[in-house]
Amino acid sequence: MAFRISDMLVYRSMAIFFLSVASFIIFLGTPSLARTVTDQLGRNVTVPDEPRRIVSLAPNITEIIFSLGQERRLIGVTRYSDFPSEAEKLPKVGSYVHLDLEKIVALKPDLCIAIKDGNPIAVAKRLESLKIPVYAVDPRNLKTIMQTVLEIGGLINAEKRADLLVQNMDFRIQKVKSLVSNVTYRPRVFFQIGVSPIVSVGTHTFIHGLIVLAGGTNIAEGPVSYPRFSREQVLGLSPEVIIITSMARAAIFEQVKAEWSKWPDLPAVRNQRIFLEDSNFFDRPTPRLVDGLELLVRLIHPELFKEAE
Amino acid sequence: MAIDVKNLNYYYRDIQALKDLSFSVTQGDFFIIIGPNGSGKTTLMKVMAGILKPKKGRMKILNRTIENYTRKNLAQTMAFVPQMTPVDFPFSVIEVVLMGRSPYLGMLGVEQEGDLKIAEQALTFTGVENLAHRKLDQLSGGEQQRVFIARAICQESQIILLDEPTASLDLAHQIRLMDLMEKLKKEKGITVVMVSHDVNLAAMYCDRLLLLNKGEMVCLGHPDEVLTFKTLEAAYGCTLLVDESPLGKFPRITPVPHKFMDHLQKS
Amino acid sequence: MNTDKPLLIKRLWVVSFSLMLVLLIAMFLGLSLGSSQSGMKAVFQNLFGIEPHDPMLDTIIWKIRFPRILLAALVGGTLSLGGLVFQALLKNPLAEPYILGISGGSAIGAIIGILMGFTRFPGVSLTAFSGSIATLLLILVMSSGQTILKKDALLLSGVMVNAFCGAVIMFLVSLTQDARLHNIIFWLMGDLSMVDMPQVGILAAMLLPCFFLLFWFSNSMNLLLMGKEMAQTMGVNVQAVTVILLVATSFMVSATVSYCGLVGFVGLVIPHLLRLLFGPDHRVLVPACVFGGGAYLVFCDVLARALPDQGEMPAGVITAMIGAPLFIYLLKRTRR
Repeated sequence: MAFRISDMLVYRSMAIFFLSVASFIIFLGTPSLARTVTDQLGRNVTVPDEPRRIVSLAPNITEIIFSLGQERRLIGVTRYSDFPSEAEKLPKVGSYVHLDLEKIVALKPDLCIAIKDGNPIAVAKRLESLKIPVYAVDPRNLKTIMQTVLEIGGLINAEKRADLLVQNMDFRIQKVKSLVSNVTYRPRVFFQIGVSPIVSVGTHTFIHGLIVLAGGTNIAEGPVSYPRFSREQVLGLSPEVIIITSMARAAIFEQVKAEWSKWPDLPAVRNQRIFLEDSNFFDRPTPRLVDGLELLVRLIHPELFKEAE
Repeated sequence: MAIDVKNLNYYYRDIQALKDLSFSVTQGDFFIIIGPNGSGKTTLMKVMAGILKPKKGRMKILNRTIENYTRKNLAQTMAFVPQMTPVDFPFSVIEVVLMGRSPYLGMLGVEQEGDLKIAEQALTFTGVENLAHRKLDQLSGGEQQRVFIARAICQESQIILLDEPTASLDLAHQIRLMDLMEKLKKEKGITVVMVSHDVNLAAMYCDRLLLLNKGEMVCLGHPDEVLTFKTLEAAYGCTLLVDESPLGKFPRITPVPHKFMDHLQKS
Repeated sequence: MNTDKPLLIKRLWVVSFSLMLVLLIAMFLGLSLGSSQSGMKAVFQNLFGIEPHDPMLDTIIWKIRFPRILLAALVGGTLSLGGLVFQALLKNPLAEPYILGISGGSAIGAIIGILMGFTRFPGVSLTAFSGSIATLLLILVMSSGQTILKKDALLLSGVMVNAFCGAVIMFLVSLTQDARLHNIIFWLMGDLSMVDMPQVGILAAMLLPCFFLLFWFSNSMNLLLMGKEMAQTMGVNVQAVTVILLVATSFMVSATVSYCGLVGFVGLVIPHLLRLLFGPDHRVLVPACVFGGGAYLVFCDVLARALPDQGEMPAGVITAMIGAPLFIYLLKRTRR
């Protein structure tokens, strides 16, 4: 009899021990469905491992997500998310400078991706106070754009695809660099983003970086990001290449070209090097900037490509 | 003494508007102040009403210096009737008259039944009771003035000050107004102090008359004493004919145009 | 003779109660309509705890729409009351709450704040508030001393300062090219969207005492309409009352502008409309403006959110689109 009682005691205590260990393991060991990461603004954000309901708070972020092939995770975008065209079918949550908080919340996202330049911080804060994680990126040049692609790839489990994309971008950029390294003369480029008033780009813009990489000199470089010019000032700066981008249609381009053509002394007019390009390749911090870079090289140093052919 | 003024001085910057005025107004009197333009009549009225503070000298209302009155106490003692109705004043007659009760009510001026009764009586006294709910700007000049007098009556003050009340009234209304003032004096014992430009009306009604010129007191007393052609001509600077009115024992003043000067010489 | 006019207390209750009801209806509409289509029935069920209960709708109603509606009610009430007080103080029917340089000064302050990269709270609202106080002080100095009581000195100084500030604003706007331009434009048009409950709470704490203070002086405003000298003979301390009304109203309007930019027309139209409906007695008009003005802006905000199918219009656009024809109609009515 005594033996059985002590047996039972042992069995009982063992059972209790194993139960506690098991529940401890279960409690600790259950894989958490979220992890904490640091975004590009240095903020700690708790993001889900498998985000399935992402709202993109800027058109360039939408583009990046599509380019990584993860568009099935996207449930909401901002207005003017027009590339690729499939993005236009997604529900809209306002414009990137004026986000519609209610629409975002109504979509029940599990992750929002924001950009620093443009998205109102107040909205980001409200989203976080409603327990919706917001991951912020700040792509300011080619390097940080590539970084952004990698980080977003990491967020949405598309690391391999992101790696490939960034390698491709890097490859193309290096190719341009090596092409341009042999160039002896850097033409004076006037990159016009505004028609009326005439606005160009300063040193702290994507476009400036592209112009420099493409082997040109940005005659509008300086501390002001979007400096204004009078026609006289441009004439005084004697641009050899004029590239015009604006959301305007081709008809307006002909007008603008005609305006410049009134000054035959301009090197760009003499040599007929006035071009119109799609602004989307130049003002959105996305992989397409590399397309823009390749375009620029062809416009600024056409001689490099003649040789190649 | 209703009002007692001693050595009163007032100047606007460097212009002396009132110079060393000393006089008193007996309680229950109908006291009229006359004088040419620029004599300081309006300034004197404003000082008496407490709107302007005398620069020098002192003023006593009902034997108390004006500084000893709180704003509300002063309002309960003296009521002011302006020359013209304020512009853009959208209130109805009864609302205007009830404003006269504000010196007796709290900040929000919540009126009680008793206040309404006083207002009604004031309206009847001035003969505008059937206009009670009309908007003030729909009334004629004479009616508007009677409304403001009703408001002053509603203020239950012992002294009422009026600034040239007959200036824009037609003949009938001028008489009506002066009769009303006499009624106030006789029936309610109110001291009426008025600034007037109409010398004849003043002569017909007042108990005592004060003639001002260039801020100084020229003469004070009964109409017979004050309204002599010597004093008047000196003050007003024009030829006047002063005789006795056919209506009673008070002077009648007729200004004499140049073309009748010879006629005057002859008689 | 029948001089029975309903005594003040009764009139006050009737007007306040009916307008409060209008405000509550507007608020209910505001809670039910929004950019995410939820439908009034669902909201009604949520509010009164009737099943089925959608927790996400709860979040939308209480965390997003409710603070915004409260803000609209507070701002609408403040602006209407501000317009009322300035119309009485300056004896001018065209006076509106921004007239003493508040719009110009706060806009310059806000633009500087936005250009310096501050966030809406607390950065830009503080710069906007400082801007409006600075212009107010400037105007007080310009029309200083005894002339504060002189007819139109304040008004003219205010108009001139606003005009000058307008030029400065246009200059600053023309210099800005990037995303901050959007922020500036939205601020200038009036933007109710960026607030949460604690912020609304702070604003309410600033505004409610002002409402009560102005109500306390409502009879004085009646008397002031008779003219400053007349009011004085009726026992009003004209100098003190003028300063108190000026300071309290400017403070309250500056506080609202620093929260939500320049929402126009409310302060101009609503006092006139309410005066037409309820008479010129400020003791009734002060609470009427608070509730009626609040209801108007809540209602305009509902339209601003529910009408466009892409994004939302700034509330200031709707108040102008409704307010301007309303004002013209009122003008014609009063001419008769």
